[in-house]
Amino acid sequence: MNKQRTTILFLIIMAIGFACLFLTSCREKSKEDSIILTRTAGRIENSNLSATDSKKYILRSEIVSIKPGNLDVSPKVLTSSFYSARSPEISNDGQFMLFAGQKKEGDTWQIWETDLTNLNTKQLTKLKEDCTDPAYLPLGRFLFTSHSATDSLKANESILTSNIDGTDQKRITYNPYMYRASHVLNDGRILTIGVQKFPETGDQKLMIMRPDGTKSELFYKGSGGSDLSGPGLETNNGRIIFIESEKSNPGKGNLISVSYARPLHSRLNLSSEIEGDFHAVFPQPSGKLLVSYRKTTSDRYALYEFDSENKDLGKAIYSSKDFDVLEVVDAVKHIRPRKLPSEVNGIMKTGLIMCQDINVEDNPMKISGTLLKKISKVEIMSPDSSMGIFKPSGDGSFYLKVVADKPFRICTIDENGKVIRKCDWIWLRPNERRGCVGCHEDQDIVPDNRIPLAVKKAPIGVPVHINKIKDKMIDTE
Amino acid sequence: MKRSTILIRIWGIILVLALLIYFPGRKWARAHVNEKTAVADHPLLCTSCHLYIQKTGIVSKLVNDKYLSPIDLTVSGDGKRLYVVAQESNALLIVDTERNKVINKIGVGNQPHSVILSKDGQKVYVSNQWSDNVSVIDLSVGRVTDTLKTGNGPAGLALSADGKALYVVNSFSSDVSVIDLYSKEEINRITSGNNPTGAKLSPDGKFLFVTSRRMANTPYGEPLFSEITVINDSSRRISEYKKIESAYMMENVAFTPHGDLGFVTLIRPKNYVPSIQVEQGWMMTHGFGVIEPGKEGKVSELLIDEPNSFFSDPFGIAINPEGKKAFISSAGADYISVIDVDSVRKLLAGASPEVRKLYSNNLGISSHYILKRIHTGANPKGIVLSPDGKLLYVAEMLDDKIGVINTENLQKVSSIDLGGPRRITVARRGRRLFNNSSHTFQNQYCCYTCHPDMHEDGLVYNMSGKDMGRNVTNTMTLRDISETAPFKWSGTNPTVYKQDGIRFSTFLTRTESFSYKDLDALTAYILTGIKNPPNLQYNPKGELTEAQLRGKEIFERTKDNNGNEIPEGNRCITCHTPPYYTNRKMSYVQTLAPTDDSILFDSPHLNDIYATAPYLHDGRAATLEEIWTKYGKNDKHGVVNDMTKIQLNDLIDYLKSLRSPLYEYADLKKNHVKK
Repeated sequence: MNKQRTTILFLIIMAIGFACLFLTSCREKSKEDSIILTRTAGRIENSNLSATDSKKYILRSEIVSIKPGNLDVSPKVLTSSFYSARSPEISNDGQFMLFAGQKKEGDTWQIWETDLTNLNTKQLTKLKEDCTDPAYLPLGRFLFTSHSATDSLKANESILTSNIDGTDQKRITYNPYMYRASHVLNDGRILTIGVQKFPETGDQKLMIMRPDGTKSELFYKGSGGSDLSGPGLETNNGRIIFIESEKSNPGKGNLISVSYARPLHSRLNLSSEIEGDFHAVFPQPSGKLLVSYRKTTSDRYALYEFDSENKDLGKAIYSSKDFDVLEVVDAVKHIRPRKLPSEVNGIMKTGLIMCQDINVEDNPMKISGTLLKKISKVEIMSPDSSMGIFKPSGDGSFYLKVVADKPFRICTIDENGKVIRKCDWIWLRPNERRGCVGCHEDQDIVPDNRIPLAVKKAPIGVPVHINKIKDKMIDTE
Repeated sequence: MKRSTILIRIWGIILVLALLIYFPGRKWARAHVNEKTAVADHPLLCTSCHLYIQKTGIVSKLVNDKYLSPIDLTVSGDGKRLYVVAQESNALLIVDTERNKVINKIGVGNQPHSVILSKDGQKVYVSNQWSDNVSVIDLSVGRVTDTLKTGNGPAGLALSADGKALYVVNSFSSDVSVIDLYSKEEINRITSGNNPTGAKLSPDGKFLFVTSRRMANTPYGEPLFSEITVINDSSRRISEYKKIESAYMMENVAFTPHGDLGFVTLIRPKNYVPSIQVEQGWMMTHGFGVIEPGKEGKVSELLIDEPNSFFSDPFGIAINPEGKKAFISSAGADYISVIDVDSVRKLLAGASPEVRKLYSNNLGISSHYILKRIHTGANPKGIVLSPDGKLLYVAEMLDDKIGVINTENLQKVSSIDLGGPRRITVARRGRRLFNNSSHTFQNQYCCYTCHPDMHEDGLVYNMSGKDMGRNVTNTMTLRDISETAPFKWSGTNPTVYKQDGIRFSTFLTRTESFSYKDLDALTAYILTGIKNPPNLQYNPKGELTEAQLRGKEIFERTKDNNGNEIPEGNRCITCHTPPYYTNRKMSYVQTLAPTDDSILFDSPHLNDIYATAPYLHDGRAATLEEIWTKYGKNDKHGVVNDMTKIQLNDLIDYLKSLRSPLYEYADLKKNHVKK
């Protein structure tokens, strides 16, 4: 009798266990099917970054989830306890969501994380300034943009990385730029929108860098200046997709795709044949794109699926007469980006940079040497002053040891002391070692296999100490 | 005492003993594993080191397997048969292309490399790289009917225009054997570029083009070049050596049907550039050379890479019968790149030498001629087109398969399973990792790139561990290194685990480090799967010549020619102790250069040293002789200045005879059986 009772009890426990498993798995599935979007009741006037300047999130907005297969059900608000919320980003396991949130009106924006299985939310940053544009880094870290109007490096907005619990925050960008809408590519690097803010506002560009802030370089720049309104996101067929509008036509956001392999020379406008304005895009594992789009300015931005193969806009997945769709993400598992090793060593105070030949310029088809006679000296400039002038080695190379985490730019000077060209603002992280082939933005050119003369000597220290060298000139010959 | 009490007490004692063993034991194991792996969190798996790196015995047999590893293939005139060289199993596989099935497996020599068909299609020739011969297979009887003796390390094969002579490229002795197929005798030996491999007769039948893999011996810092050897087919003499600047690893060559263009695979390394970053091709670029025989033999170099995507280790090359499409296999990236030949013609037409030079360092130029990239199985090596050009067959070396690609729609249509082992052993996984560039940033290179054939590429790199331009290092071989720790010239890595661990990713691969599972596999492969070839060139039978015996005496001597005692620390044999000829200790032999940090160097092992030029840590000695004639004047690297030239020659002759203990034991066993 006892044995029989034990068996029945065992069976009941097993049944309850299986039921729990079954119910949990149902819940998992429904979560994975959801699309998460940011919507606003306000009207989007101009979405580009330079227009909104230091306050990106001017419209009050909320993050909601919808089930694409069940559109009759009202969207579920995920940030109901927030005054405003933006920039959702899903973890690679599809379980968590980072976002920027403003708890009450007038509060600073901070970064929060929501567990999508139970909607528990925790605050990750508690800084005095606004923190926006979060993105997951691999294996327990994330990045965000920190806004500071009083930065000593004239950088309005810099990128910080942090442990997922908010500890160990590290600044990784050190130039007078503002950075927005960052995303981590599968190769582990951060793709972000960067805009020069000093001495004058520059064009919006997609910049790329390693998560420790090293090897920052240009990834994409529109011809003739253009505005970008969201992150550059990676598709599963080797393309980077984003929204770009021409300065001459700011009301028309285009759906742009560039190749990861050669982004500066592979721009495709997927929406050139489509009338209307695209505001946000997110690539799905199926290869199709989720887009926020409106046909006319009187319409609201609604959510559509876009077939990038056929350049075809399908039917609306979600639309509302009361809301514009600002952003969209798919709450599904995705590839974990690679965790790149870091060469940064906080004990060091400098980094090294070597240029193989300052005479190499952008156009690779030009014969080397056309600028050779012109470039006489190289000047290193900080935002405030000159850090030193020197002659490159006979082969056009130079090798510098530069104080770390300070912005500088390299200027080439002709025999008459006139500036020929200024490169973009760069910085070196402590112990970073980087190289450039010449004075160019194009990424096509690789170094020639020869030993640069400059590395046969010790690097030139920058900034050059004015008292030691009166005319700030170092003759490396 | 009750029985239950006794049992409880016994169990109690066992438990206490187990705890006493477990906790200190675990602590010891943790310390042991930490020491070996140089990390603190490697799983406590005894199998990593004590199972998968066994080289001999039952355990080794259980955990390893014999794979086929197809490396080269050719197709019959009617397209119905493929002849596939299965390198690891020393066999030629005959594949029925209609049934996609292996119908015969014929044993050939050791480490077969290449295969060609005779003019009449009745015979197949297979070069056996580690046997110094060519197997002749009569297809009518389906077995080896003859063996042709060659030079050292036969690799690429080609027939003369009349089909009466066979050219055999001797990759180790850097020459070409011309074998008369009637008498089956070698009738000529022609010196080629360094480490030749591929061979192809021009379509007009006038010239044989032979590629080379290693750079010509050049002092560090001087412009690097490798050579294509052009041989006149009728005179069987050298026509010219074409200099290919800044490129090496030219594995194979192919021509358009009209012969107006020849394509050769190549790699353009950046060993002179401080290795401070990987981004934008700062370490390696990959491409092909374009030979224009009609235009004074110009060779231009073009890349198949793109600014953010690299296609490492180009190997096989084929051009379709129309001469419109060329196919290149990238063995490290698992891709076939399809090239539009007309676009290459257009690009080069009228381009000045200066512009061509700029092309060779431009990652964007490939967008002009790359039609498509086709993903393949693991490690695509040799490729061949069907006679009608409609199908491309790809030897997927580490999948034991032949991939089949439709050349019209450029899609992979099927895969022929050659019947290798189903299971993937730990060492096999390690070999795949070794040969795959996905473990470096943007697939720019893999272990194999700098260690071709798991050896070394003969280049000196500016690895820039600290400052640029300092501490240049000569690439070391990975063959037979399991008993030669520590590793690196600086001897800083006591184990392969440490060598390929986190610092490896920070300074070399610059991407996510290997997972511990992958690191275990890579280590297992490096320590068990990489053998030295038999030293058939300098020690073919395990018996030293008289000169080598005299050299051995000098190597082991304790007194100089004047009868003075040589200090123990300055004798050859002290630091280079048999059987690996290293005492595994650090030494100072006054070879530091002004650009070196002040360090001691690990005493390098010497087996097969004949194949590892240049010498010394920074590769400054082009030959073994130069170690002492140019850089050993102070008698700190062994006492040599009392020696006559003949004695030095004998010593060098002996050094060149050193070979892996594996072959010494094998010969001993053989002799024992004979007796």
